[in-house]
Amino acid sequence: MLQYVIAGLVLGGIYAIASAGLVITYVSSGILNFSFGALAYFVARFYYYLHTQQNWGIPYAAIVAILIAGPALGVFLYFMLFRFLRLSSPLVKVVATLGLLVAIPALSTLIFGNEAISSAPGLAPEPVRVFNFIGVAVTLDQVIVYASVVATVVLGSAILRYTDVGLKVRALVDSPAMTALSGTSSSAVSIGVWAVSTFFAGLAGVLAAPIIGLDPNNFTLLIAAAFAAVIAAKFRSLPIAVTVGLAMGVVTSLIQRYLPSSSNWTTEVVDAVPFMFIAVFLIYNLLRRNMDGDADRVGGALDRAITPQGANRLAGSAESALDRGSLGLIGKFGGPALLMILAAFLPILVQGFWVGLMAQAFAYGIIFLSFTLVTGEGGMIWLCQITFAGVGALTASQLATNHGWPILAAIVVGGLVALPMGLIIGFLTIRLGDLYVALVTLTFGLLMENLVFTQGIFTNLGLGVNVARPSFAVTDHAFAYVCLIAFAIVALFVLNLRRSTTGLALNAVRWSPPGARTLGISVVQMKIIVAGLGALVAGIGGGFLVVAQTSAQPANFATFLGVVWLAALVTVGVRSNTAALIGGLSFTMLPALALAYLPSWTGQLPAILFGAGAIAVARFPDGSLAQGGEAFRARLLRVANRRAPGPESGTPLAGPGELALNGPMAARSAPVVEEVPS
Amino acid sequence: MTGVDVESRSPAIPNPADPVLTATGITVRFGGLTALSDVGLEVPPGTIVGLVGPNGAGKSTLFAVLSGLLRPAAGRVFLHGDDVTSASAQARARNGLARTFQQPELFMGLTVREHVVLAHRVRFSRQRLWRDMVDPRSILPPSKEENDRVDGLLELLDLTHVARASVGALPLGTSRLVEIARALATRPDVVLLDEPLSGLDMRESENLASVFQRVVASDDRRVSLLMVEHDVATVLSLSSRIFVLDFGELIASGTPAEIRSNAAVRAAYLGDEDSTSTADSTAVPQ
Repeated sequence: MLQYVIAGLVLGGIYAIASAGLVITYVSSGILNFSFGALAYFVARFYYYLHTQQNWGIPYAAIVAILIAGPALGVFLYFMLFRFLRLSSPLVKVVATLGLLVAIPALSTLIFGNEAISSAPGLAPEPVRVFNFIGVAVTLDQVIVYASVVATVVLGSAILRYTDVGLKVRALVDSPAMTALSGTSSSAVSIGVWAVSTFFAGLAGVLAAPIIGLDPNNFTLLIAAAFAAVIAAKFRSLPIAVTVGLAMGVVTSLIQRYLPSSSNWTTEVVDAVPFMFIAVFLIYNLLRRNMDGDADRVGGALDRAITPQGANRLAGSAESALDRGSLGLIGKFGGPALLMILAAFLPILVQGFWVGLMAQAFAYGIIFLSFTLVTGEGGMIWLCQITFAGVGALTASQLATNHGWPILAAIVVGGLVALPMGLIIGFLTIRLGDLYVALVTLTFGLLMENLVFTQGIFTNLGLGVNVARPSFAVTDHAFAYVCLIAFAIVALFVLNLRRSTTGLALNAVRWSPPGARTLGISVVQMKIIVAGLGALVAGIGGGFLVVAQTSAQPANFATFLGVVWLAALVTVGVRSNTAALIGGLSFTMLPALALAYLPSWTGQLPAILFGAGAIAVARFPDGSLAQGGEAFRARLLRVANRRAPGPESGTPLAGPGELALNGPMAARSAPVVEEVPS
Repeated sequence: MTGVDVESRSPAIPNPADPVLTATGITVRFGGLTALSDVGLEVPPGTIVGLVGPNGAGKSTLFAVLSGLLRPAAGRVFLHGDDVTSASAQARARNGLARTFQQPELFMGLTVREHVVLAHRVRFSRQRLWRDMVDPRSILPPSKEENDRVDGLLELLDLTHVARASVGALPLGTSRLVEIARALATRPDVVLLDEPLSGLDMRESENLASVFQRVVASDDRRVSLLMVEHDVATVLSLSSRIFVLDFGELIASGTPAEIRSNAAVRAAYLGDEDSTSTADSTAVPQ
């Protein structure tokens, strides 16, 4: 028993250090850093590079990697990104850090190479000394973890509670604006906080490397598990986060003692334990009604008053809205129609391998339309769209291959199986803040990935389930067109929804729930509609994807891969059907083009590009390409207006931007209204 | 007063003299702070009623209770005589209660006209909220009745020239007008106006005040307005009845003349000592 506790305290200690770093950044900036695992991996990989590949001594490598490079990375990211996120909406903050999560591992591979490292040294000299503690063997690496946890708790608490720096950090938590007005540089404090946070990330990474190896996915999952401790601490309490982190490690270790060691099921359960913790804490908070957006609210009244209404909402930023009525049919639909025509020609223009990729690209386009619905129209960050796609894909493959269903019917049923899951999650998360919605959907995805997608019926000993194409579209060419037609049907549905009364009501709910409710619109109904439709579309898209790939592999629907999907779409634009198609094409074609025609190192560039695109939502909430396109259309419109003889009745005298300049108080400076608690 | 659920309210013909909106004994507490204490008011049909008080008096909290965004610790709210205390904000809206906000709560992705169109459809063709999603007919031009109603409201509030502009780019004063147009598009029986004149210049304020008077006078359904406003002079000139809140308590109610001469109101606005020394002066705007 004791050996399990001691072993569990090691894993728990890493959870504790990671959760401390996450809490410190959250309380001081309102950012739950989803990229913490990627940062931990980067520093750990740098330490490995210095110590193992460059033969630096442990002290020098540790000082440079953990004490210098880690904090420097935090300061760099603060200047490049985090300082712009201070007044951003929770949605933008989540997506920006997800962008880092996607970009940093790819950047690491670019810098340090793609060598697979399953065993990495820690901070203890090798061979690692082993001590005997009450009959239990304890390694020096483990002792270093315990000492790091104690130092984190004691020093962290003492600094926050008793020092002038701690006072400034706590003031920054309450109100950055008031802190600045009282003469304290909130930027200086923030720089320090980010440096400390990335120091913790680096420390956790180096300590974890001997246990989990140097695989960025393992780091991401490890830190995702640490979210449980952060949620238990309601994002704010350092002692609770550390305590729960330690407890999680011990409980996970003890569970292994009582489960049969030779069973696959044990592995699945143990892997899922941290996510079960997250689910338990989320349900507890849900029942206690502690999640009604409280986590989204950072800063004081003054901070909220100076936050522009919706200026940083992801999707549908105010400044991107054009005077759509005066664009005309060509202005409104010319671009999308042209793209569809081009897409229809693409399978003819390419041959062989590339045609198969086209079919996959169009299938990805369908899945990306589910993000367009949920995030673009519904204004919610759902991190389990890939799970719905997986549910649709695995259901369709089972029905078609093992039960003889026609594949197209199986695809539709796959979507219908995903639909109620979307409805249930939508119902459960309606009253939650944006951050909690992201966490709930992430947890759902991780649980499904670990407990359901790992079942033998789906994995088929790692081979997946073969899926036959419909008899009328067996070739890559033919099935590419089937996928393109399916995309067009779903895109028309989304277009109709957006332009319809339903779309107007969804827009109302997204921008102002109190305004919508007092107009007679049910926020609950509208969010459930969009959640269910999003799951349905993702499920159908997943079905088409596995038919295009001719094999249903559960590993292709890993939750964090869905983050890359989201990043790829956000880069192009999350509110546009056209962007969904471009996103599907770029997600599929860019890596293949890099592999086929460019040096091998460029294989990492697409991930870096997608990550950078997601990070850029801090500047372009509608997506860099989408906003660029809108700006271009607005310019065309202005040119056209200048050539027109004069304004007719009912025609705006000026574009939206000009109105803002003329008005005494532009809406961008209108304060956000805090919703009255109900 | 009856305790009928508004969702199942029978279309009984109300007595024209009955108040359209009534609140009795409203008490709201936030932790240890009592924001409203035993407050009551009535809004008769076809009238403008003012609600005034210093900052922090509880006016916006009372609006939140009346509109259904906040549940009171005690007290009842009646709409058309029906108890709506436990009804949701959207249920009250569907039964004729509309409101605007101190800081406009606009839908930034929509144009001015779309705000009014949405409000009109929510009230008059509610099934379109669901049906349009899958009904290709939704792309057809709107009905003449809808166009006339929407155009009329835009014209009434002088919004025609910005009808197709995104609300994200509008000045604050124009944003308030959009909110009012949106509220009126639901064809309400009573509209709660939270500081509708703030952010408007003198000419815009005068125009809007005139719009309020026209709305109340011309609408055959006898729409009522309950208005919170810091510009007390305007409230006195527009309202037929005024309620005054201070520190969460109702300290006075009556006609403008009665409010002007009320010592408690003077004390609330000027402080006790000043009110004593200026008992006959113009502490409350004449």
